[in-house]
Amino acid sequence: MEILFQCPNKVIYREGDYAVKQFDENYSTSDVLNEALNQARVEETGLPIPKLKEVRKNGEKWEIVMDYIPGKTMKQLIEEDPSREDELLNRLVDIQLSIHATTAPVTMNKLKDKMQRKISESKLNATTRYELHTRLESMPKHKKVCHGDLGLGDIIITPDDKYYIIDWAHATQGNASADAARTFLKFSLTYGEERANKYLDLFCQKSDTAKQYVQRWMPIVAASQSVKGHEDEMEFLMRWADVVEYE
Amino acid sequence: MNKENQTPEAVFVASTEALEMKLTQIRKAQAQYATYTQEQVDAIFKAAALAANHARIPLAKMAVEETGMGIVEDKVIKNNYAAEHIYNHYKNVKTCGVIEEDKEFGIVKLAEPIGVIAAVIPTTNPTSTAIFKCLLALKTRNGIIISPHPRAKESTITAAKIVMEAAEKAGAPKGLIGWVDVPSLELTNMVMKEADIILATGGPGMVKAAYSSGTPAIGVGAGNASAVIDKSADILNAVNSIILSKTFDNGMICATEQTIIAHKDVYDAVKAEMIRRGCYFLNDEEKNKIRKTMLINGALNAKIVGQRPVTIAKLAGFDIPDDVKVIVGEVESTSVDEAFAHEKLTTILAMYKAENFEDAMDKAEQLLNNAGGLGHTASLWIDNVHEREKLLTFADRMKTCRILVNTPSSLGGIGDLYNFKFAPSLTLGCGSWGGNSVSENVGVKHLLNIKTVAERRENMLWFRTPQKVYFKKGCLPVALDELKSVLGKKRVFLVTDSFLYKNGFTKVITDKLTEMGITYTVFSDVEPDPTLLSAQKGAEAMRSFEPDCIIALGGGSAMDAGKIMWVLYEHPEADFLDMAMRFIDIRKRVYTFPKMGEKAYFIAIPTSSGTGSEVTPFAVITDQNTGTKYPLADYELLPNMAIVDTDLMMSGPKGLTAASGYDAMVHALEAYASVMATDYTDGLAIRAMQLIFKYLPTAYEDGANVQAREKMASAATMAGMAFANAFLGVCHSMAHKLGAYHHLPHGVANALLLTIVMRFNAADKPRKMGVFSQYQYPHAFERYVECAEACGATGKDDQEVFENFLKKLEDLRDAVGIKKTIQEYGIDEQKFLDSLDQMSEDAFDDQCTGANPRYPLISEIRDMYLEAYYGEKK
Repeated sequence: MEILFQCPNKVIYREGDYAVKQFDENYSTSDVLNEALNQARVEETGLPIPKLKEVRKNGEKWEIVMDYIPGKTMKQLIEEDPSREDELLNRLVDIQLSIHATTAPVTMNKLKDKMQRKISESKLNATTRYELHTRLESMPKHKKVCHGDLGLGDIIITPDDKYYIIDWAHATQGNASADAARTFLKFSLTYGEERANKYLDLFCQKSDTAKQYVQRWMPIVAASQSVKGHEDEMEFLMRWADVVEYE
Repeated sequence: MNKENQTPEAVFVASTEALEMKLTQIRKAQAQYATYTQEQVDAIFKAAALAANHARIPLAKMAVEETGMGIVEDKVIKNNYAAEHIYNHYKNVKTCGVIEEDKEFGIVKLAEPIGVIAAVIPTTNPTSTAIFKCLLALKTRNGIIISPHPRAKESTITAAKIVMEAAEKAGAPKGLIGWVDVPSLELTNMVMKEADIILATGGPGMVKAAYSSGTPAIGVGAGNASAVIDKSADILNAVNSIILSKTFDNGMICATEQTIIAHKDVYDAVKAEMIRRGCYFLNDEEKNKIRKTMLINGALNAKIVGQRPVTIAKLAGFDIPDDVKVIVGEVESTSVDEAFAHEKLTTILAMYKAENFEDAMDKAEQLLNNAGGLGHTASLWIDNVHEREKLLTFADRMKTCRILVNTPSSLGGIGDLYNFKFAPSLTLGCGSWGGNSVSENVGVKHLLNIKTVAERRENMLWFRTPQKVYFKKGCLPVALDELKSVLGKKRVFLVTDSFLYKNGFTKVITDKLTEMGITYTVFSDVEPDPTLLSAQKGAEAMRSFEPDCIIALGGGSAMDAGKIMWVLYEHPEADFLDMAMRFIDIRKRVYTFPKMGEKAYFIAIPTSSGTGSEVTPFAVITDQNTGTKYPLADYELLPNMAIVDTDLMMSGPKGLTAASGYDAMVHALEAYASVMATDYTDGLAIRAMQLIFKYLPTAYEDGANVQAREKMASAATMAGMAFANAFLGVCHSMAHKLGAYHHLPHGVANALLLTIVMRFNAADKPRKMGVFSQYQYPHAFERYVECAEACGATGKDDQEVFENFLKKLEDLRDAVGIKKTIQEYGIDEQKFLDSLDQMSEDAFDDQCTGANPRYPLISEIRDMYLEAYYGEKK
């Protein structure tokens, strides 16, 4: 079995022309089916993503079967050749903007609902949750497709230089700036401040968005991320989330 | 137990059901409270203010303890202020029932409560804002539901409870003040949705939620005040006041200075004084540490709000002495990326150096635009006596609703401490710039519905006429004698037409002028329907001759031309389009007519009996290029003197006698039926009608009959006085346009339309009646019957009297040789029909239409024209 990717509770392996994403036994059925449904919905928008083939049970484990895409992720490409960082970051932002330019199917989950839920589930104190709920409430609602967790590892570049976007588990419809704030947070946690800032400057410049507008989402995405509860990230996330609005 | 019967205190609001119940209780209590008198309300207001003031220290301690922000001693002042200054400012203000009455104008204003106020309370001033809002609610007979911030809920609720208990003890209904015990966004949103008005103090998110709730909202916005220090400022006063202001409650009042912008000439002095008084200036490394601590992704770090400098420095990772009062960062950029540019709500100040005053204002403006605070507060330190102009420029430039001069802004912005006509308030409106519905300090007036009772009143009316009206056969030279003996005039400009001039009508005037030794010149080029061009020529001649008196001699054309020349002579810049603009009320028109008579005295002398122009404020002038007639109307156009001398009328031809005589009849009748008719004009109109009925046929048949001529002269001038004040009606509107389109003599056009219009006006259920306060119901018919009876028409009932009167008028028309229809005057049928629609619309828009007792539809005017053309209804 050719393992393509592995993380604590899921594994992706190759099966001929297909890639199979296998979830641990303790993964909830609804989460798996939701991810498959998300992927199906995004597929219908025409964005370049691996086609969904099957959702099946392998013993006690759920599996999502999709087209296998030959190539390397942007993350791998940069690791192999760090001088390509700027080029690939540029491309990532272009791809993200093309996702945002897509109108979501009406049935897709709403970003704002998801964030409301995540803030409520977070371990932040009542005061901070109240601040964040209020902040979120005042943000504009949009209907753009948001990947919800886009990073360099989520874009595969094929040998003939086509790209495919993978991992649609967190996709919603909503405000593009929230999606950018999520990517900025992911970059900050994974690669540090410098690359994160580079990404944000590129995003704001290419999308003609004011930085403050993306920044207004940062406490919210930090609260949402804190629900996953990685211990080592908590202090960082709390710092981001514990802010007040001007009075 | 039955939920409905729970006492207000027993309802603990932690769910939507409990909130629903609480709101029901508040509504019930408020309904009862709405019946309280001003005395009862004032007693409750006082008791509540006293109780809040008593609790100022424990409440301050609680707020600091719970929120971990601010300074107890300063919060004591805020609580004290919220109780005392609010009470003092509003103690004598009427907020119940009749609050204002103006008997003369029939206006009564009544204040009514709005219902339930949703009060969103911030963490920075939790107790004082709660006291403030509860007191306002009590004074305005509103109920209030408070949504505290979770960070400050205990102290907020305690403050509200103290006010509530004192109010209840003083007689307020139980349950008038309520609050959410366990705040959540869901409950806050519900509070805002269910209330009748929202008083939201808080961050932009909360204010936006308030405005989005669908409930009327008074929300206020974020501050970011800059203090500009001009080189003329008193530095000692400026620096120490700013430090006082900035350190007050550790910088948590929204009007507090966030930035100092000092003129470069005084920058060092300002800095030195700041250091002397305990400000700490950061080095570059410390500045960066503070930046990172202060803002996180552009948002304010909750941990630094309302903290002392030593605490903030520690958080940022360095130590400063414990007694530092304010941390100062000297910076240059005013862009959004500069953390120091933002509102800090704590003891950090930014400081900029300005090249000059202009640069200082630019920076203050950039900070508002880039880093927030639009609409809130700006502050200026200046020599306000000698640098007044700079002060006003600053006020002009800043887009803020409060501009404070030589004042600590935190304590100056809330009003009544450093200025005494600024409403004391803890809720400061920021206008549309701050996304708010109010731009002033919020007070009781924003929480009341004011009902205005307006009783019907009638307009003031008037009667105006030339100062001197001289009449009697042969009076002309006698009257003119005044030019020398009384008025001391030296140069006379005589306006007339060539016919009158050539036939010696002017001789009696010129002889008299020569005899008195008065210089004169004669302008005799006036044509019928005088044009603007000829009036301009006359005015040109006037300008070179420079008369101090103008005499206009002739019929309507000469007198009108004289009036226009007079206007052009005195005011060459006057615009006829503006002057001729149609108006509803001559006293309220947009255009102010220029003052007349400063250069020349105006005397009008009629040579025919009809137009009345010698005593009217009207003149018509035609644009020779477009054919447009400009009807001018303003009492400035009243002649100063009218001389009515029958000698000048004896040779008038029959046609002119008939047409102008009948015109005078229509003047009298329309003035009598006008919505603006008065007892003063009625008498003149009736007498004029009687004289015309009696003497017009004779004057027509026997022009040499002196008595008939003289009576007709009186009738025409009296009718002129009547319509100079009561105005005319739609008959004249239609006659004006018929004359303009088909060149019928004005008097003839009126005669052809008169009885048709009278029938139209006499309808007892007109489609629309005339609009004027005095005109209470359609009564043109009764008015016509009064005229009829005065003129000797009889009948078995009013209807028959009216019909006989119309017949009498038509008989008079026949008697003076006027035909019956427009068609009979040879107006081509097709040409008439082609012009009909436009003519009807123009007649509708004529100035005379406004006074008509029946407001005509364009289609009705069209029907009347057709009837007048064919002699029967079509």
